[in-house]
This record gives sequence, C-alpha cells and structure tokens, in this order.
Amino acid sequence: MTDTREMPASVSSSAKPRPADPAILRVALLALATVLVAALALGLGSGGWDWSLIVSLRAPRVAAAAGVGSLLALAGLALQVLLRNPLADPYVLGHSTGASVGALTALLLGAQLWIGAAAGALVAGLALLWLARPALAAADDASPRLILLGAMLAAVFGAIATLMLALVPDQRLRGAIFWMVGDLSGADASLWNLAGAGLFAAWLWSRGRSVDRLMLGADAAWLLGEPVRRLRLELLVFASLAVGLAVATCGSIGFVGLVVAQGWRLAGVLRTRELALLSLLSGASLLMAADLLARVVVAPLELPVGAVMALIGAPCFIWFLARGVK
Amino acid sequence: MPVLQTRSLTLRAAGRVLVDALDWHVHAGERWCVIGRNGAGKSLVLRALAGLGVPERAGEVLWQGRPQQDWPAIAAAATRALMPQQAQDRFALTVERTLALSQVVMSCDSRNAGELMSALDIAALAARRADQLSGGERQRVALAQCAMQGAALMLLDEPVSFQDPAHQQLVGRWLAEAASGGRAWIASAHDPSWIGRVATHVLALFGDGRWQAGPVDEILSAQVLERTYGCAWRSFEDVWIPA
Repeated sequence: MTDTREMPASVSSSAKPRPADPAILRVALLALATVLVAALALGLGSGGWDWSLIVSLRAPRVAAAAGVGSLLALAGLALQVLLRNPLADPYVLGHSTGASVGALTALLLGAQLWIGAAAGALVAGLALLWLARPALAAADDASPRLILLGAMLAAVFGAIATLMLALVPDQRLRGAIFWMVGDLSGADASLWNLAGAGLFAAWLWSRGRSVDRLMLGADAAWLLGEPVRRLRLELLVFASLAVGLAVATCGSIGFVGLVVAQGWRLAGVLRTRELALLSLLSGASLLMAADLLARVVVAPLELPVGAVMALIGAPCFIWFLARGVK
Repeated sequence: MPVLQTRSLTLRAAGRVLVDALDWHVHAGERWCVIGRNGAGKSLVLRALAGLGVPERAGEVLWQGRPQQDWPAIAAAATRALMPQQAQDRFALTVERTLALSQVVMSCDSRNAGELMSALDIAALAARRADQLSGGERQRVALAQCAMQGAALMLLDEPVSFQDPAHQQLVGRWLAEAASGGRAWIASAHDPSWIGRVATHVLALFGDGRWQAGPVDEILSAQVLERTYGCAWRSFEDVWIPA
C-alpha cells in the first residue's frame, strides 16, 4: 500500500511535447525591433531625424508592410496545414493571383477592392482544394502534384489578370499593374491589416491543438474527434480573407508565407500555437526588411517589394526542395 | 452489451459486393482477426466499422449498442480507434509529439505512454522524426497511437505486416493482453499460425460477399482457409503452411 509505484500513472513526461526554446521568441522579438527601427530611420536623407516626416510618410508604409507580412505568413501557415504540404504558399498556389483577378474585377466594377480580392482568393482556394482532392487523399507524398497544380492555377489566373489589364482604361493602368507585381509605395496605413493579422493569429492559437491534429491527416483527426470539415473550411476562409486584405493593400507579394512558417519549422518549432505567434512577428519583420531593401538599394529609385521578396523567397523555396522537405 | 455489433452490413466497391449482410457481434475480451485475400475488403470493413467514409454501404454498425452515427465525435473517439495500414506523415513531427497528439483527453483510461512505448519497443525512438522511421518502426508507433486513444474497441489494419519475426511475437504478446478490462480489438492479418496464437475469434471474408465468423479453432481449418485463399493448407501442430 505504501508502494508509490502502484499509484495510477499519468501520461509520462516523455510523451509531453516540449515547448519551443524561449530563446526563439526572444530572437523573433529582437529581429522585429531591429527591423522596425531600421525601417523607420534609414534612408531619411540629409535632413536627419525628422519626426514629422517619419510620422506622416514613413510610419504608414512601415505599418502597411508589417500588417501585410503578418497576414501572408499566417495565410501560408494555414494553407500548409490545410493542404498537408509544408511548401504551400498563397503565391505559389495561385491564391494571391486569384485575389489579383478579384481586385481587378472590383476595380472595373467600382466595388470595394478588398472584398473582390478576398473573393478571388477564396475561389482560387476552393478550385485548388477541388482539383487536389485525389492528391490530398493519396497515401504517398502529395507535394509535387500539389505544387504543379497550384502553379498551373496561378498561370491561369495570371493570364486572366493580364487579359483584364487590356480592358482597364489607360489612366488607371499603372495602378492596376500594381496589383500584379506587389508594391508598397502607394499603400495606405490600414490598421485593418494589423487588426486582421492579430485576429487570425488569435484564432489559430485558440484552435492550436485541433490544427496540430490535422497535421496527422484528415481521417486521423476525425477519428480523434476533431470537427475536421469545419476546421478545414475555417482555415480556408481565414487564409482567403488574409490574402484578400494583403492583396488589396499592396498587390500580390510572394514567398512570405512559405519562408516564415517553414523556416521556423526547420528551426524546430512544430506546434501551431508557437508557429502562429512567430508567423505574426516574423512575417512583419521579413516584409519590413524586404521593403527597406526595396527603398535603399538603388535609392532614390524604388524597386517593387514583390520583386525583392521573390529574390529572397525563391532561392529559399529551392533550398527547401533540395533538402528533401516532405 | 457487445462492444461492436453489425446489422446486415453490406459493403460494395467498384461494382463488386465485398461483404454481404454481415450480422456480427464483438464482445469485451474478444480478440478478432479478419482474414481474406488481397482486395477481399478487409480494410474496407475496418474503415466502415470505424465510421470512416467507404464507397457504398448499407446496414448498421453499433458501438456499445448505439448506432455509430448517433455518437458525438469526442465520445466516439473514446469508443473506437483505428490504426490505418499506412501512416500519412507530411510534417516533421517527432514520435513523442505524434503520440501526445493521439491521446484523447476525455478517455477514461489514458495509458501510461512510457509503459506503452517500452512494451512496443519504441521507447528509444521517442525523439526521432516519425516520417523517417523504418516501416516496421512506424507501424509500431501507429499501434501505440491507436492505443493512446484509450478506446474500448481497437481496429487494426495489418498491425504486423512490416514486423520482423521477433517483433511479430512482441506485438502478438502485447495484443493478447490488450483486450482486457472491457476492451476488444479487431485486426486484419494474413498468417494463420500467428492468428492462432493471438486471436480468440476469426472473421473470414471469401471475397464474393460471403463470410464466416466464429471461434479461432473453428475457422482455422483446412477447409475454411482453402475457401478463403483458394489454395490448400496443411498444419503441423499449430503451424499452418500453404501447400
């Protein structure tokens, strides 16, 4: 009776997931702070530190970059779980191209841009889910088929967007091209982006365990009692809204979702809750940094930030593929 | 109250009737093996019993006397668990993380994960990535995942197909004790000698819709095995060999 080994044993500590190293969060916060200061302060010109300039010109653009970066990183994380593919990204799989088509349609019809963009992203997402059903259900690795399907979907939407550009009146052409390449130079400081990113991350946090279980497979999660159908729909809707907001702000910028979430996974972070928090922070850092580069590399000229992000992101994608990430 | 009951369960796939009007009871303490040729419908039966989607089904499946569609998802998770034939790892999760995610919080009897891992000889794999294990190792992890759910009924799709002889014995011994305390399991398997050692009952699927269910001694006969596999069988002591 006194033998404590006879006590009912709880699940041993060996099966409890180890939380990620707290140092990782510190690194992410430090990177965010550094990039934020640099983005606000660098490239001010000879006039030195001018508060009114920073507040009126620089801060709105930096805030837009931060919000869009967070939204895209979180959308990438959600799509990766939804499509069971760590290499998914709203740009690679055609969601942001679909959002561009939606935004252009809204532009031609005179409707709200972000609604058009969100609807376009949702349509692209549903089309991909429908086309990829066999690949998603297959026992083997679906990555190559899914990525090729997404690339073809992106090509189709890209072609539609190009055709629509022919219909746009000349004086609005430059503004329309902006949705195709991704550019922050004219972006407004919409607090909707930051608020939306915060909400998205909070939702992912609240569903953390369920989303984690979805990584085991849809059947496996369903057998464990998870509401798989609803969860997958919610993931798709949140990702589409996020991509829609991002595209309406600054056009389609690629690779943020891919690089941030998968980068942290390679650093050993595997839990959805931690990945959501880190995507929120590092998505903002990454796009602020890319925008900073876009402004200062060939100053006083500016590069489109979408092109800079692609120059960072595409090599990362190739590196992930070469490492045999499944 | 049987742990599992089927009423006229009929399963069709690709225009063929694989199981016709299966009326079947599985009680606590029973250890069932399902035998049949490749493509006879063993996996399909297990999927249908678990409540997963199958191409075409008719009839009823009851868990603990209650139709499976009437179970709320979370209560169902504590009632039945399924080990699939093939794990679908797409993310780099460790073995211990995979097992932790497979535990059902509400389950009345959440097992001691450490004991379970030692019993199935996977304790040394805890920190390894589940998607980088060998076929046999991953299969034992899948069995542990199924057990972690703590369900009264375990449905196991080929639990030993990738196991070396020593681990077939180890898993068999573990399974022989896994149907205690109100539990039961149903596993698809191929080796009649192994089945004779671990099972109490056998369900034989003949591939054309017909089936036969009964105690292991009754079904493991030259006659039923020949009808199941289409070849003659001889037995020496408890070892079965296809002629």
